[in-house]
Amino acid sequence: MNASMKRALPYALWLGMALCIWGAFFYAPLAAAFIGQSSRILFFHVPLAWTAFIAFFTAAFWSAVYLWGGRKARHDRAAAAAVELGFLFGVLATITGSLWARIMWNAFWNWDPRQTSIVLVLLFYGAYLALRSAVADREARARFSAVYALIGVVVTPFFFFIVPRITESLHPEPVINADRHLDMEARMFQVLLGSFFTYTALFLWMHNLRSRLMALAERAHAD
Amino acid sequence: MSSATSSWLASAVAVFAKDWRCELRSRYALHAIALFAVTTLVVASSSLGPLGADKSQAVTVLPALLWLILLFAAAAGLPRAFVHEEEAHTSAALRLAAPPSALFAGKLAYGASLLLGLEALIAPLYLALMSLDVPSPGLFAATLLAGGYGLAAGSSLIAALASQARGRSTLFSVLAFPVLLPLLLLAIELTRNAVAGQPAGVALPQLLLYDASVTVAGLMLFPFVWNP
Repeated sequence: MNASMKRALPYALWLGMALCIWGAFFYAPLAAAFIGQSSRILFFHVPLAWTAFIAFFTAAFWSAVYLWGGRKARHDRAAAAAVELGFLFGVLATITGSLWARIMWNAFWNWDPRQTSIVLVLLFYGAYLALRSAVADREARARFSAVYALIGVVVTPFFFFIVPRITESLHPEPVINADRHLDMEARMFQVLLGSFFTYTALFLWMHNLRSRLMALAERAHAD
Repeated sequence: MSSATSSWLASAVAVFAKDWRCELRSRYALHAIALFAVTTLVVASSSLGPLGADKSQAVTVLPALLWLILLFAAAAGLPRAFVHEEEAHTSAALRLAAPPSALFAGKLAYGASLLLGLEALIAPLYLALMSLDVPSPGLFAATLLAGGYGLAAGSSLIAALASQARGRSTLFSVLAFPVLLPLLLLAIELTRNAVAGQPAGVALPQLLLYDASVTVAGLMLFPFVWNP
């Protein structure tokens, strides 16, 4: 890919985001059985949650590459940047979910299994960020946080099996549900699919920027 | 058994024996976790009274309280196994003496035996002080065994991490609690079932799966923590 195409990518992303927002408000119809316009938050909430998971898996991937792939500092930065962004997207997914819950369930927070699971996952990655700030030595920090991120992929999936048993859920069926039946109006599905794609691209772009910024900060620190 | 396996096992057993010998000389962790657990137990029991008399409240509250006591007792005592090596400057010698996975296995066996011993002391006392009946004693014992082991396995790996970092004691709690949360949720659920006389359900296999995955992750990841 040449330089001018690379420069055009952020503009393409901008256009994609604009289209997603337009689609969410003006193209997609309202879902039945939702109060007022509240179903439109779906096109922000679901892709944000999706991107948070992409980010956490990206972090685990780069952590494994760091440990088994020659201990390159850039792999550590890629993992750290992914966790930071995953945390950001996760918090935004929680906030958008709460706003919707206030309208539909009349309370911002009611320990629905989905709300519980995301809080537990965010707690884990909050601890990851605490670990990073607690270790001064760059190499040791990279090693320890890579190990911790990999413990995360072993431990956090348990939440999604355990928590739904403990409390009843009012959360709408996931898009990919148990009986593999797509229960969604076609235009809504188009906007949602486009949003998945665009938000993932947004994450990759932000991830690239954040990793490069971290590399510059490290270089400035070293001088 | 090949000679590599037997020497690995010998190293693990040696680490286990060394830790217990050190422990019996100072009795630091033993005293810390036993006294911590008994003190919390007495405070809880004297402020709540014999809660077990009210069945519905007992089933909701008491299992959670028991596991919180065990969690904090583990957090008070288990990190000691690794912090001690740093304080006594013995970790370099230990790195030469045993392969990392054998060292982890030895430390884990030590932590698990310490915690299971604590449970053997605390659980009967807890049932007696809270006048709590357990209709399914087999399930209760299995939960204590699997839960205690998992608590030790998760704590050992995190203790190794935290002992090498700044602010060890606070960092351990911050790092360990999110990792131990699934275990706590499962152990509390199973203890509730045991107290209510209900079957174990899918939670027991899940707890065993948690134990197995944390053990495997520990054996695989510990060498990265231990060797620079």
